[in-house]
Amino acid sequence: MHALIRRIWHGLVVIAIVATAVFVLVRLAPGDPFATALENSRLTPALREQWRAAYGLDGSIGTQYVRWITALLHGDLGFSTSTGQPVARAIAHALPNTLALMSVSLLVAFAAGITIGVVQARRRDRFTDRILGAVTLIGGALPDFWLSLVVLLAGAYWLRLFPVGGASDPLLPLAAGTLTRLRDQLWHLALPALTLVILIAAPVARQQRTALLDRFDADWVRTATAKGVAHGTVFRRHVLRTALGPVVTLAGLALPALVGGAVFVESVFAWPGMGRLAAGAIAARDYHLVVGCVVVGAAMVVMGSLIADVVMQRLDPRATVDGDDRPGRT
Amino acid sequence: MQNTRALPLLSLLALAACGGENKASMPAGTASTGGTLVVSIPSQPDNLLPPITTSQAGKQVNDLVYERLAEIGQSLNTVGDAGFTPSLATRWIWAPDSLSIAFQLDSAARWHDGVPVRASDVAFSFALFTDPKTASPAAPLMANIDSVTVRDSLTAVAWFRKRTPEQFFEIAFQLYVLPKHRLADADRARLAASPLATRPIGSGPFRVVRWEPNQVLELAADTTAGRRRATLDRVVFTIAPDAVTAFTRVATGEADLYEAVRPDKLAEARSNKQLVLTLSPALDYNYLGFNLVDAGGKKPHRIFGDRVVRRALTMATDRRGIVANIYDSLAIQARGPFTVAQVSADTSLRPLPYSVDSANALLDAAGWKRGADSLRAKGTTPLRFGILVPTTSVARMRAAVLFQEQFRRIGADVSIESADMGGFISRMGSRNFDTLLGAWAPDPGPGSVRDAWTSSGAVARGNNLGSYRSPAFDAQVDSGTAAFDPAAMRVHFARAWRIIADDAPAIWLAEPRRAMAVNARIVTSGIRPDAWWAGVAKWYIPAEKRIARDAPAASGAAR
Repeated sequence: MHALIRRIWHGLVVIAIVATAVFVLVRLAPGDPFATALENSRLTPALREQWRAAYGLDGSIGTQYVRWITALLHGDLGFSTSTGQPVARAIAHALPNTLALMSVSLLVAFAAGITIGVVQARRRDRFTDRILGAVTLIGGALPDFWLSLVVLLAGAYWLRLFPVGGASDPLLPLAAGTLTRLRDQLWHLALPALTLVILIAAPVARQQRTALLDRFDADWVRTATAKGVAHGTVFRRHVLRTALGPVVTLAGLALPALVGGAVFVESVFAWPGMGRLAAGAIAARDYHLVVGCVVVGAAMVVMGSLIADVVMQRLDPRATVDGDDRPGRT
Repeated sequence: MQNTRALPLLSLLALAACGGENKASMPAGTASTGGTLVVSIPSQPDNLLPPITTSQAGKQVNDLVYERLAEIGQSLNTVGDAGFTPSLATRWIWAPDSLSIAFQLDSAARWHDGVPVRASDVAFSFALFTDPKTASPAAPLMANIDSVTVRDSLTAVAWFRKRTPEQFFEIAFQLYVLPKHRLADADRARLAASPLATRPIGSGPFRVVRWEPNQVLELAADTTAGRRRATLDRVVFTIAPDAVTAFTRVATGEADLYEAVRPDKLAEARSNKQLVLTLSPALDYNYLGFNLVDAGGKKPHRIFGDRVVRRALTMATDRRGIVANIYDSLAIQARGPFTVAQVSADTSLRPLPYSVDSANALLDAAGWKRGADSLRAKGTTPLRFGILVPTTSVARMRAAVLFQEQFRRIGADVSIESADMGGFISRMGSRNFDTLLGAWAPDPGPGSVRDAWTSSGAVARGNNLGSYRSPAFDAQVDSGTAAFDPAAMRVHFARAWRIIADDAPAIWLAEPRRAMAVNARIVTSGIRPDAWWAGVAKWYIPAEKRIARDAPAASGAAR
């Protein structure tokens, strides 16, 4: 328990450091929140300065930081100048969409990746292994932006089976029932989730195959087999369980990576999630929103890492939540 | 109603240029109410409060939700009140000295919450727009309006500081009328944080029903007052940041309109039987601007301070070829700091000719000699400079490469300095560039050239980024904008354009045309060059062409 609390405390410190670093760096980058429309003939530099002052973006970085921290302590993440709403509200709109996309994609991708890895490992060096190896290699090498466009055009334009982006049907009646809404959202989720599944499942499968093959040659597996334990039991208890460790770590890391890495997928599929929100905020130099998105991203990194360690400990008791192996155990 | 100095409608060019393909294929049918128009747009509005809206999407929605006192006509005439049509004001009366105009409001006008629109709303709106706390980009454009007073509940009087040709345009076009009862208590310094910034209350033909961030913004026809009901039931804006996605929505029929078809999608749009492609002029132009002063702004630029060099560089570029290469048929060559849709345009202006030999001769004569590496230098100053370009614009990035190559042929060593929009804007604002590939969207009025190209804008925080100064040009612009006679106005501006074209403070490159793909079931009418959406309230879908989404108010939106 102490180790868990210590990890949470460390996580909060990491988030604070990351948020501070981003707070400073984003202000050092060229441009400002009201500059992107400079090519608008009506926006003069004087007006932009006035707007900066109105939204607390004037003064030195130190002054702004103190102002931001003070507001943060009052639960105010600031006002998003690019979306015209409080940062907390902008994130509250985007986060559920990203979580929906992420959770479905991760679940399906890891289930598919682990299954493919198992099939490959059990048919090592056979035709099936080689074919699946080639498929996962290609899947892992595809650029996400290109794959997104291909999936979009194939599913929505050529076959016309799915909608062209968005998280829901914009014409869905306000009075539509929950079931109708859920079905509609899943229908819209299909193509972006498929894209992410392809992108994630490939490396998971390759990782799983390698981990399984390592365990097949382990001493304890040979011993268990020599003792006459059934093959299925040996595989489930002594091979698969221990081989899931690296994949679990990968899942923990995939969680935050998906938030940032889904930018292209969210853009192509017009998915109103965190990736698109963050990308838009960076392009618009929406300082408060950038920092808000980074805080959420950092929190997910910390959380993902913590969850992975907890799961790892469940799978392999030698591991501890704070990452050290217990002394005296082998 | 009409001013005695009312002027004839100008430029039929806009009408001629727009809708050529559209009209030919317009479906027949009647204009009964009903139907849904789904518009695919690349980004959502920044806010929906006209004093502080800067985004194109925001302007589109504002124009459908709020009303002005009068609407500008198809010709975009800004002199006097010629061509303007009644909107919130049913009529207007000029004072004999022309220093005030009394606007009679439509007594049936209601805000979307049912409250009647009154003259006090007009006075309030003017005060809000021009309050320094509001920091409205439109405020400087109303500088000639002294005040707006209330004569009676339905009569608002605008008082002007001086009589000018554009005084009617300034009050009628720049001012949106806003609800006093909803905004009186708003913090003017932080209007964007007001609830009305996302759920506006206007008096226009449509009202906002819902706005799901980065997804959809739905408008419904407002029937509160029973006046000028829009023919369509709904206009739904769907947001897709990726151009391929946005176009695909229209190509598959998920959306009805996409206003920015790219050159690489032209053939597909033309071959799609569902779509009607409409090309129309727009109010923006691209240019390669020279910085005429050094980094400190005190001395002439080491290269571009010399008019001869600027002329030589202009003549070294095949502008027509570059435009065709980049835009296909989606742009015409720009002639100067104006667009053909503006009333001050001079379409007979001949830009400096394309002649590499002449360019070389000019540089030779000016002392820029070729070295062993074939690059030119004058004394110890090499003909070396950078082109600042935003990475976010594919067209401008491609133009930079073509300019670089064409300048190289006359011995200039050119580097492309690409920056994201934030970096581009930052360097632009601090004048930290040799040349830049800029884009400019002026207002329809001829006076809009002042800020970007006359001496008054060549100040630290002005928009004359290259610091071009010419008393002769300024004088012609001043005379042109002060002229009440359109013929005289055009004469002055023709002279101004000739002066600036000869001085070559920039190489004006292209006037992109708007390529709009519209589903063939939609019957459009009168697409205005500066705003295709201006006539949406009159668009309709014939009954026989309607589809499932045109069913009456499926969202329960229409009142």
